[in-house]
Amino acid sequence: MNATPLIDIHQITYTYPLQMKANSPAQSLKALQNVSLQIQPGEFLAVLGHNGSGKSTLAQHCNALLIPNTGHVLVAGLDTSDKILHHAIRDCVGMIFQNPDNQIIATVVEDDVAWALAVRGLPATLIAERVEQAMTAVGISHLRKLPPHRLSGGQKQRLAIAGVLALRPQCIIADEATSQLDPLSRREITALLHQLHQELGLTIIQVTHLLEEAALAQRVIVMDQGRIVMEGTPSVVFSDIERLRQLSLAIPEPIELADRLRASGITISREALTVEAIAREISR
Amino acid sequence: MTYPIISVKNLYHTYQSGPLQKAALVDITMEIERGSCSAIIGVTGSGKSTLVQHFNGLLRPTSGALVVDGVNVKAKGGDLKTLRQRVGILFQFPESQLFGHTVYADVAFGPRRLNLSKSEVRTLVLHALDAVGLPPRQFAQRSPFELSGGQRRRVALAGILAMSPKILILDEPTTGLDADGRAEFYQYILHVQQKDAVTVILVSHDMSEVALLADQLFVLHNGHLVAQGSPRAIFTQDTMLHEWGLIEPPLSELLLLLRKQGLAIPERVFTLDEALSVLQELRTIQHERNNV
Repeated sequence: MNATPLIDIHQITYTYPLQMKANSPAQSLKALQNVSLQIQPGEFLAVLGHNGSGKSTLAQHCNALLIPNTGHVLVAGLDTSDKILHHAIRDCVGMIFQNPDNQIIATVVEDDVAWALAVRGLPATLIAERVEQAMTAVGISHLRKLPPHRLSGGQKQRLAIAGVLALRPQCIIADEATSQLDPLSRREITALLHQLHQELGLTIIQVTHLLEEAALAQRVIVMDQGRIVMEGTPSVVFSDIERLRQLSLAIPEPIELADRLRASGITISREALTVEAIAREISR
Repeated sequence: MTYPIISVKNLYHTYQSGPLQKAALVDITMEIERGSCSAIIGVTGSGKSTLVQHFNGLLRPTSGALVVDGVNVKAKGGDLKTLRQRVGILFQFPESQLFGHTVYADVAFGPRRLNLSKSEVRTLVLHALDAVGLPPRQFAQRSPFELSGGQRRRVALAGILAMSPKILILDEPTTGLDADGRAEFYQYILHVQQKDAVTVILVSHDMSEVALLADQLFVLHNGHLVAQGSPRAIFTQDTMLHEWGLIEPPLSELLLLLRKQGLAIPERVFTLDEALSVLQELRTIQHERNNV
């Protein structure tokens, strides 16, 4: 019943080149080991895992920043191993990174949003239109004339997202895009990703080590040692808290509280994973 | 009676950039207990970093009085060299400041500039590496660049501990670390505070972190000190946290919500275990009522 997946990852293995040269025990150094994953158009997927679990490596295979050693990745039907297709693939799947300062180029906000469009040689009127729409979508229109260094961390991430949106991608990958932000901006950026998912029908892949962020996704995969070790809806994945803890993930206290109340015989729906939902269940 | 290791009185700091002036700190008065773990919290731009940079003389007050471990930090003069030996600052992403060929060389960089003998330097370095859970036998001769992010950060911490500071300032120490990395890092911070009697000052916007580690919180907002107290006091009351751009730790948030929905949860409830037993009790009472 599924349509063709937007991103089709088929049995990929990847080892970082330096580690390959070092010629150490090969097994332990594989960043990805035989990973298969299909991501449907319009899906909101969270990729969860601790540092070094392979989640960023996997994400970078989704827009041809990395090419698998074995296996293949198809993005909208395009094979990432074909260099000629890389531009088309990256227009389709955009990425934002952890450190907002590393992805801002221009000296004025609106120029930064326009950057990638200008590089592609699009006509000025079209660029102006797309920049306008992208800035409106992420809510930074009022900051357009500011130099990026005057922006807060959350505003810089919005700017990075606008730069990607201006290219009209089908999918945005947020690779730990909230982990250097304060808690409030963190929530705002996650909310923005969900808003883009709903309003523009974008496919979103959110790479994170935070359960509270993954809890909001439609589907969660958990990575460990270069493999996908758990997969399902948040309520299914988060029903095994012990396993998540063993995978070096921090369990948010409200989720742990709900779990322990459940263990003591109080009924709390497993669907309740946010603070608000858990509060509703408890006071029922 | 213990006297405070840091005492700040009516401190102002104004940044001057060309004709523009910006009041970064306004009339700050506070005291930090010797041997305590304090946290300074506030959003980006609230003045946290400006404040802690006064504590080791990287910045000087525009006006007001500041005494750090007996050293007077004034607008001019003062023995800042002594101060900087006593107060170590671990900046954000300290692993990016590592440069030694080996872990040993990196950690020894500071102590080597203290006019100590080789063996004294060695003792300091080995002790510091032990203190951060990097056994010298295993790590001293390795390149810092082949270690994991969490380990590299601990190397940076060791570099500061090797100077035997009396006050350790940590600026967002666990940003970018995962759960394991964090838990380990906390363990070593607490160890240093409790075993070596170092006063720890934490700058953080992770509220779960400060709730776990700090005895005392200082909340900064727009350069003003707007609140101080224990984490329990700050997070259990429905304070102005949101107005200051902060949010309470998730569990405190949940308890506040439950109270708003009419559950009788006492304000003293703060930890997971306390919440669990109160909620179970409430449920039992409800059951008994239903049965009567």
